[in-house]
Amino acid sequence: MVQTTAPGFGRRIMSTAPRWDADAAVDGLYAAHYRRLVRLSVLLVRDVETAEEVVQDSFVAMHGRWRTLRDPDKGLAYLRQTVVNRSRSVLRHRGVQARHVPPVVPDQHGADEDAVVSERRRQVLDALRELPGRQREVLALRYYLDLSEAEIADALGISRGAVKSHASRGAAALRHLLEDAR
Amino acid sequence: MNDFPDRPGGADHDGERLRRLLDDAVSDIEPRDALGSIHARTKVTSMSSSRSWFLGAAAAVVATAATVAAVTVLSGDGTSDDPGFAGPSPSAGTSPSEATSPSTSSEPSPSETAGPTEAVPVYYVADTPHGVRLYREFHDLQTGGDPLTAALSEAVATAPDDRDYRTDWPGGTVVAAAGFDGVGSDGQISITLGNDGTDLRERPAGMTAEQADLAVEQLVYTAQAATQTRAPVQFFLERPGSTGNRTDMLLGVPVSEPVSEGEAVDVLAQVWVVTPAEGAEVTAPFEVSGLAAAYEATVEWELRQGNRVVRKDFTTAEECCTMAPYSFLVQAPPGEYTLVVRDTDASGGEGPGPWEDTKQVTVTR
Repeated sequence: MVQTTAPGFGRRIMSTAPRWDADAAVDGLYAAHYRRLVRLSVLLVRDVETAEEVVQDSFVAMHGRWRTLRDPDKGLAYLRQTVVNRSRSVLRHRGVQARHVPPVVPDQHGADEDAVVSERRRQVLDALRELPGRQREVLALRYYLDLSEAEIADALGISRGAVKSHASRGAAALRHLLEDAR
Repeated sequence: MNDFPDRPGGADHDGERLRRLLDDAVSDIEPRDALGSIHARTKVTSMSSSRSWFLGAAAAVVATAATVAAVTVLSGDGTSDDPGFAGPSPSAGTSPSEATSPSTSSEPSPSETAGPTEAVPVYYVADTPHGVRLYREFHDLQTGGDPLTAALSEAVATAPDDRDYRTDWPGGTVVAAAGFDGVGSDGQISITLGNDGTDLRERPAGMTAEQADLAVEQLVYTAQAATQTRAPVQFFLERPGSTGNRTDMLLGVPVSEPVSEGEAVDVLAQVWVVTPAEGAEVTAPFEVSGLAAAYEATVEWELRQGNRVVRKDFTTAEECCTMAPYSFLVQAPPGEYTLVVRDTDASGGEGPGPWEDTKQVTVTR
């Protein structure tokens, strides 16, 4: 049987995986992935508080679905998918630009150097916000989470061909935007 | 690294640069600890989740319904952020064969007389401010034990009850065969379509690519609802001289591999009225229920007569930002009304406009 969704899910033997209940799954996946998922959402929605809400909601949703997920890999895949979906919903519903920029935290660098670094980060986040939603999502999943083309297709519910074209168009558009910003 | 081989020269270099850029862009984000607040929320959820409450209520309706009830069954299956599956619900208490031929043999003869009917979910397309999207109706059908074929046949060839909805399938399209070969979502749905006058492989003149996409999604969602799965769909086409060959395209949409459902947020209208159905006759007060993925979970409604707004109010769906149940009671004097349910326009009029669903309703007393 050919199946385009969830390749390998449920068929893999998880003999070494812990048998977590829903609470343990939340704790385990939170410890390993919470920060990364918030950062993923920041790449999508820009605003940090919104990203935190999106990810927390996603953990609560995963807890509710744990009976059908049952293994940590599936839990993580569900979290990623839910974070992307909810980030998209938030953008659609708000229809507004980001309210906050990431905080500049002065540390051991001089103030000028901080300003340069934070300006560079701001430009990247701004440029991402300019991209069509799908391109932004594909780039974030591909280059921030390092997912494979198949995993991205699965998480976004689109074909691999679409992943490819969003990735190459998104990369080109981002390069263009960042060159303009300089 | 060879996932994107089509990127022109220096693919690895380009990928590395993007990786560094994105990583750096969020490297200073240190989210506040949230484990405590997640725990607080999951404790509540596991004790009395809205989902299980709703399932229980739906089951109770199925158990007592003697006539057609539009019952929404939210399933815990699947992983997408979607409204869940709409399962068919048995509805008729007595079969027509019993009612119309009391004096003949009690031996059932399903081939001669119509069997009991089932309320089968059927998806239709409609234009919204956000483009073409899917809405769902329940149709009371004699399925002969095959709700899948019955629902798909409705979807391609039967006009919806709601005049705002439609099917974009070319006239003359038939469902030659449909089947599901598995259990749960571990299987595949097969659909064989035919049309004597139109080549369904190509997108017909006058149909946009978006309409073609949604026409395919319409069948995927209808088939998944009828089988209560999220199984992918393999399409076959019946052509003159051949019965049911796999096809690489359907209305110009690539379908050589089994097709999974599109994301609910991209495919479904985000506000649905489930009851009352279009054209329903009700007695006041009547309950309106449906599903909505509404901004801040706020659902607005109006009861109109012509351009005059007779009643208006708002309610709250059980969750924000995902298709979640809502319901409210409407009190109104006898008459014919248009019921409008919509989400709030978060963009203050600058966006494409709110999602909405409208139903013609007659209050009889």
